[in-house]
Amino acid sequence: MIKVIGLKKNYGRVEALKSISFEVEKGSVFGFIGRNGAGKTTTMNILTGLIKFDGGKIIIKGKDFLKNKQELLKSIGYLPETPTFYNYMNAYEYLKFIGEIIGYEVKNISKLLEMVKLTKQSKKHIGAYSRGMKQRLALAVAFMSSPEILFLDEPASALDPEGRMEMLELIEGLKDEKITIFLSTHILNDAERVCNKICIIDEGKILLTENLSQLYKSYIQPIFDVEFDEDPRSEINLLKKLNWVENIKEEGKKISLYVKDIDYAKKEILKELSKLDTNVISYQIRKSTLEDIFMRMIGKNEII
Amino acid sequence: MKSFKAYFKKEILEAKRTHKYLVLFIGIIFWPAILNPLMLKLLPLLMKNYLPAEAVGMFSDLTRDSAFQSFLSDSFQIGMIVMALALMGLVANEVRLKRLVFPYSRGANPAGIVLAKYIHYAITISLFMLIASLINYFYIDRLFTGGMLSVIIVLESTLLYMLYYCTLLSVLLYLSSLFRRGLAAGFTVLVLAFSLSIFNQFKIIRIYLPNYLIFKAADIGYIFDNSLIPTVTVSFCLIILFVFLSILRMKKIDIA
Repeated sequence: MIKVIGLKKNYGRVEALKSISFEVEKGSVFGFIGRNGAGKTTTMNILTGLIKFDGGKIIIKGKDFLKNKQELLKSIGYLPETPTFYNYMNAYEYLKFIGEIIGYEVKNISKLLEMVKLTKQSKKHIGAYSRGMKQRLALAVAFMSSPEILFLDEPASALDPEGRMEMLELIEGLKDEKITIFLSTHILNDAERVCNKICIIDEGKILLTENLSQLYKSYIQPIFDVEFDEDPRSEINLLKKLNWVENIKEEGKKISLYVKDIDYAKKEILKELSKLDTNVISYQIRKSTLEDIFMRMIGKNEII
Repeated sequence: MKSFKAYFKKEILEAKRTHKYLVLFIGIIFWPAILNPLMLKLLPLLMKNYLPAEAVGMFSDLTRDSAFQSFLSDSFQIGMIVMALALMGLVANEVRLKRLVFPYSRGANPAGIVLAKYIHYAITISLFMLIASLINYFYIDRLFTGGMLSVIIVLESTLLYMLYYCTLLSVLLYLSSLFRRGLAAGFTVLVLAFSLSIFNQFKIIRIYLPNYLIFKAADIGYIFDNSLIPTVTVSFCLIILFVFLSILRMKKIDIA
């Protein structure tokens, strides 16, 4: 659906994007994550035709973005991080105004307002709206005329917890409708919940692009966390002698077992724990969260 | 065409809600057309005890022609300042405040946006100028005597003023797309407008500059002659050039 090849963007001498490439499949939710200033918004602004780029190629729906910009933009919806409107207009007037530009029928505006829960405030000037209300209005603009691709830049950043949950549910719903979503976010839990594919960007470079399930497999940590009924000090030496155990860290009644081969360890660990005199309360493989992976990737990039 | 229609309606709504029509009414109609003739008539009466008799006499001897010339002079000075300051952010504010993000990201046509803005204010200012001239003529005809002023002469002068305002509006539009701050565009236009008047003293050059329109508009009885042909041609060319440059600029500008 979206193919970006060697995209470059400079702001004076600063290289904001250093030849980045990635691909977004149709109907997927593509999580674009990175620190502040990593290049997320710049990429989004380029892909929505708001700013120019200095090199590379963008192909959307199989067409060259530069050559077919006006046509392609009609099938794109964009929710910027800080949406700005004409404050003297009300929500209805603003949606009607954008609707006229894209040929959206006026009769559908009330449905749109209902969807973003702004019906009651539709006659109030936008200048008097809270940030969350503006975000919801921006979402309504992005949804106008059912776009095939949605660019969401930090969509939940201005919303209260309830609004955030609703936003995530909405994104999950859109996934079912086969709308391609390009989601930029700081909130890694959100990305973890809704994205199919994750792309980590840092200092204008893509560090990783991977399917979420594959990502967990690749970045799984070979550690078992085991909790005992009592202090297992005397038992630890038995575990240390096992040839598949690399190291053990103790912390009261808990130990962390670092293993050499995770698959082999999965088969053996229960057998070995059952041989011990101390009762085992729980054991689990330590799972990497997206946050762990993100921090590790960013950390590596800083060393480089 | 869709972008043009949407933005034309938006400009009307904006001008109403942000009181731009009111500001332009005061600057183009109220001050020069209504207040000016009343002041010209009342000033000698109010000041007769404070001013020397010769000065008071100068005001009392005003004919309808000189009263109309005074209106034109006020229109040029006050009208210009008000227009430049009220419309200086025409494009600059849209870009600086990132209000074009949604329209552009939904495929709005920059040519439609620029043309809607230009045509809306060209019509508004021309209409206001016409109303101002007719109101002024109505007052002058009742308050002053003498001179050769007629409705035809008033309309001829007004036509030249309309073209002058439209030319400067196109320059303002372009400068507003060029500068991030509208104030820079407004002041540049004002400096340009007032400094170009200096060239009205040079017969060879002045016919190629839009400010000659102002000069000829006040030349009651001899307004339309062949000397205006290059001026009118240059003015129309400038309008087309600056509107075209504005469209080009808006196509290339980074919106976010």
